[in-house]
Amino acid sequence: MHEVFKRKAQRGAVRALAVALLMSAGAGAASAQDKPTVSMAINQSPWLNSFVAMVDQYEKETGNVVELDVSPFGGLLEKIRNSVRASEGSYDIVNVNSLWLSEIYSGGFLAPLADIKADYKLAEGVLSYGNTTNWDSSALTFSADGALLGVPVNGNVQVLYYNTEIYDRLGLQPPKTWEELAANAKKIQEGGENYGFVPRSARDSIVYNFTPYVFSHDAAFFRISGPNEAEVVINSPEGLKALETYVGIATEAGPPGPGNIAQGELIQLIATGKGGQAIAVIAAWGQLQDPNSSRVVGKINAALLPAGPGGTVASSAGHWVAGIPKNVAPEKQEAALAFLDWFAQKQQQVEYVRAGGVPVRGDITSADLGDDAAFGFIEAYSENAQHAVMGLPFANAAEASDAMALSFNRAVIGELTPTQALNQAAADLAGVLERAGFKVSRLPDL
Amino acid sequence: MTRRSLGAVVANSIVWGYAFLILGPTLWVLSNAFKYKIDIITGATFSPFTWINFQELLFSRQSDFLMNLFNSAVIGVASTAIVIVIATMAAFTLVYLEVKPWVRWALLGWALLFHMLPNLTFVGSWYLMYSSVGLHGTYFAVIMTHAVQNLPMALFLMISFVGALPRELIQAARMDGCTYAQVFWRIVFPLVRGGMIAATALTFIFSWSDFAIALTLTSRDTMTVPVAIATFAQEYDIRYGEMAAGTLLSIMPALVLILIGQNFIVRGLLAGAVK
Amino acid sequence: MAAHHTEIKARRNRRWIIFSLLPAATLFIVLTAFPVINLLGLSFFHVEWREGAAQFSLVGLDNFTRLFTQEDIFWAGVRNNIIFAVVAVSCQMVLGFSMALAVKTAGSRGRAALTGIFLLPIIVPPIVIGTMWRLIMGREFGLANTVLGLVGLGPVDWLGNPDLALASVIFVDVWHWTPFVFLLMLAGLESLDGEVLEAARIDTSGRWQQIRHVVLPMMMPTIVITLLFRVILSFKVFDEVYLLTSGGPGTATEVVNFSIYRTFFRQDQVGYGAAMSVVTLFSITLVIILARAFVQRRAARRQAAA
Repeated sequence: MHEVFKRKAQRGAVRALAVALLMSAGAGAASAQDKPTVSMAINQSPWLNSFVAMVDQYEKETGNVVELDVSPFGGLLEKIRNSVRASEGSYDIVNVNSLWLSEIYSGGFLAPLADIKADYKLAEGVLSYGNTTNWDSSALTFSADGALLGVPVNGNVQVLYYNTEIYDRLGLQPPKTWEELAANAKKIQEGGENYGFVPRSARDSIVYNFTPYVFSHDAAFFRISGPNEAEVVINSPEGLKALETYVGIATEAGPPGPGNIAQGELIQLIATGKGGQAIAVIAAWGQLQDPNSSRVVGKINAALLPAGPGGTVASSAGHWVAGIPKNVAPEKQEAALAFLDWFAQKQQQVEYVRAGGVPVRGDITSADLGDDAAFGFIEAYSENAQHAVMGLPFANAAEASDAMALSFNRAVIGELTPTQALNQAAADLAGVLERAGFKVSRLPDL
Repeated sequence: MTRRSLGAVVANSIVWGYAFLILGPTLWVLSNAFKYKIDIITGATFSPFTWINFQELLFSRQSDFLMNLFNSAVIGVASTAIVIVIATMAAFTLVYLEVKPWVRWALLGWALLFHMLPNLTFVGSWYLMYSSVGLHGTYFAVIMTHAVQNLPMALFLMISFVGALPRELIQAARMDGCTYAQVFWRIVFPLVRGGMIAATALTFIFSWSDFAIALTLTSRDTMTVPVAIATFAQEYDIRYGEMAAGTLLSIMPALVLILIGQNFIVRGLLAGAVK
Repeated sequence: MAAHHTEIKARRNRRWIIFSLLPAATLFIVLTAFPVINLLGLSFFHVEWREGAAQFSLVGLDNFTRLFTQEDIFWAGVRNNIIFAVVAVSCQMVLGFSMALAVKTAGSRGRAALTGIFLLPIIVPPIVIGTMWRLIMGREFGLANTVLGLVGLGPVDWLGNPDLALASVIFVDVWHWTPFVFLLMLAGLESLDGEVLEAARIDTSGRWQQIRHVVLPMMMPTIVITLLFRVILSFKVFDEVYLLTSGGPGTATEVVNFSIYRTFFRQDQVGYGAAMSVVTLFSITLVIILARAFVQRRAARRQAAA
C-alpha cells in the first residue's frame, strides 16, 4: 500500500481498535452476532484496504460478519450480473460502478431500501452524485422522485490536477474557466519540457472525460422531454463549443497521439511530472502522493473543474453504489442495510478517509481530519462532488457511450471535424434511444 | 564452402536475433517484479531493488497467491490429463477404425463449430448450468469446462499426429490379432508421444492462462492465477510491479514443465528411432 | 472355437469404438449443446431485463439486418481482422517453422536453450503481455523508443498513430503466438522418419532443396492443422487488442471479437452480439472451405502435371 496511506491506515486501525474495545466493554451484548453473515461482491481497488478496515471495525463493534468476495475490476460486472439474474443470488450486497448503475437499476434487480426498512432514507449529508442513488422506473432515469436503491460506498468524481512546481515556475494561477485552462496549457507546452494538458481521449474513456465539457457549456447529450420521450441535443451550438474546446486543448497543448491515451498513460504522465495538468478522478490522488509510484509527491494540487461560458461547473461521477438484490433472504437484506447505514454515518466516514478511502459525504472538511497533506484532496473533492453529473442517465448508457465514443475519438485524431463528429454522434445516440423504447426527436444537423 | 558457412552465419544470427527479441522484453517484464512502480513507468533499466511487490503479492491480506497457484495447478493438470486421454483415444478411432461417416462428421464438425465461437458468449450459460446443480465455484466445474474448451484443438492435433504414424505398423498389429484396445495402448500410445507432449503443453498453457471461464466459474477459494493477476489491473491504478511478480511466480512451474517436456521430446525421438 | 474367438474380439472392438468416442461426445453434448444452441437462438431475439426477469422478444432477422446495414465499426473490424489474420498468421508460420528447423539442427546445448527461450512468450499470461507491451510501446517512456533512441531514431508513437497501431498489435500477436507454431512444428519434425530424411540428404543437393522437396511435404498434415487453428485463433483475438488499444485510435485496431465483447458483454445486447458471432462463424467457415478447395485443386493440378 502507499506509504503515506499506510501510516494513516495503521493509525486509523489503532484508533478503530480503541473505539471497538471501549464499545465492547460498554455493551457486552453487541459482540454477539445478532444478524446473519452478509456476503458482498466488491472489486480490488486502491481503496479496498480502507474499506476492509471499516468492515473490520463494523465486525468488532457489532459482532456481525461481512464477507467480501473480491474480483478484478474487469470482472465484477459479470459476477454481479450472474448473481442478480439467478433465481437465488449469491451476494447480499453488490458494489456497482457508476457506469453500470443504470443497467442494474433498470433491470429491477435491486430491492428498494424502503421495502427493507420502512421509510428508509439516506442519512443527512450523504451525497447522491446527481440523484444516482434513486431510479424512476416509469421515466426510466435517475431521479430524486424514484425509489432509493443504494448507498454510495466510495466517492469518486473528476478533479483538475495541476503540478504546483510548474505553476510556480511559470507564475500560473489555477484556472477558473476553460479559456484559462487552455491558456495555462499553452504556456506550459511552450516551455518545451512539459505537456500543457493530458486528455484521456482513448475510445474507452473519452465520453466519460468529455462529459464535464458538455455540461459546463450548458449542453447535454439528450434530454428527457416527457414520459418515454427524449430529445437528442448533443448537436447543439453549445455542444459544438464544448467539443471544439475539448479537441482544441487536446491537440494544441498536449502530448502527440492523444487518440490512445487512457488512464494508464494519463497517470504515467502526471506522476512523472511530464504532464502539467489533467482532469482525472480523485481516486488517483493516493498514488500521486506515494513516493513508490510518483515523482510529484507534494507537488500536485487538486482543484474544481473549470467553468463554462455561463459559469456552470460539472464533473463526471465515477463513484460506487452498494445495492441489495431482491433475490436474497429478507434477514440478509436487513443485515446488509444495517451495515451500509452504519458505514455512511459521519463518524465512520471520517475514519474511512483516515484509512485511505474517499468519503461519500460532502460535509467532511479538514476540520474533521486535521491539517495533513495526505487529506489535501478533500476540499477539491467536496466541491466537485456537488457538481457531479451522470452524462447518460438511461438504461442503455454503455451502448450509447460506445457508439458516440468513436465519433469523438475520430474528432480528436482529426479524422472528423467537430461538426461531423457531433452530427454522427447525435444520429448514433438517437438510434440507441429508439431501441431503448423512447420516442426520439433530435436537433437538426449542425 | 565459404558461401555455405556465410549462409550458416546469417542463419545463426537470425535465430539468435529472434531469441534476443523474445528474451529482451521478457526479462524486462520480469525485472519489473523487483522495481518500484515509479521506476517501471519511467522505463528505467537500472533502478533501486525492492521486494515490495512480492510482499504485497504473497503477504497482503487481500492476496492469496500461493493458493491461486495451487488452484491453477490442480485445474491445469486435471483438465489437461482428461483432454489428452480423451483426444488421443478418439483420434486413433477416427483415423484408423471403421466409424460411420456421420459420427465422424458430427463429432469433428461440432468440435470445430464450438471452437470458432468466442467463449465469452458461453460463460453466462455455463454459470447458469453449474449453479443450477450446485457446482458453481468447485474445481470440478472449472476442470470440466477447461476440458471441453480445449478438447477441439487437442482432438485435431492428435488426429494429425496419430495420422502421421506408419499405417503398416498398425495394420500389422491388427493382423497379428491384437484387439483395437491393445493396438492403441501398445502401439499408438507409445509412438505418438512426441505429438502428445506438444498437445499436452498447449492444452496446459491454455488452461493455465484462461481468464474468462475461471473468472465466472471460480469462487474465492478456487480462484486461479490469471484472475488473481488481473486484480492488479485496477481502475485508475495498474500495479505493474505486482503483476510482474505474479508472472514470475506463475511461469516458474510452467517453465520447469516445458524443460522436462522438452527432454521427453528428445527421448521420444530416441524411442522413435528404435522402431 | 475360432469363430467364437473372433466374435469376442469383434464385440470387444465394437465396444472400444464406443468407449473411445463416448467421453468426447458426452463432454460436447453435456457442456456445449446448451450454450451453442442458446447462442444461435439468441441471434433472433432481443433480450431486455425488467423487474428482475429477462424479456425475450422475437425479432426475426432484425439483428442481422441491423448488422449488415448500420454497423460500420463491426465491418471495419472485419477488414482489420482479415489483415490481422493474413499478416500475423503468415509471420507466425514462417517464423515458427524456421525456428523449429533451427532448433532441430542445433547442438544439444543450443537446442535446450533455444527451446526454452522460444517458448517463453506463450507461458506469460495474456493480460500481462497486453499490459506490459503497452508500457514497452509507450511513446514517452517505453523501452522500444529508448532502444531506438540509442541509435538516434524515434520517438515513434507505436499505439497512438492510427497508421501504425494495427502493425504494432500484429507485432505483439506474432511475438506472443509464434511459440504455438514453433512447438507443433518441432513435434512434427521430431516425428519425421529419420531414414527418409537421411536418404533425402544424399539424394538432394543443398539444404534448401531438402526442406522444400522432402521436409515440407512430409510436414503438410501438421502444417495444415496448425494453420487452421492459428487462423481460427486470430479471428478470436481479444486480450491484446483490448489491453493495447481498445480498438482505437478511431477504428484502426477494431477486431471482430472486440466488437462482440463490447456488444454482447459491455452493452449487454446479447441478441445482437449473438448475431455478430453467427456471422463471424459463417465467415470463418467460408474462408476455411475456400482455402481447402484451393489447396485441393492445386494439389490435383500438380498431380496431373506430374
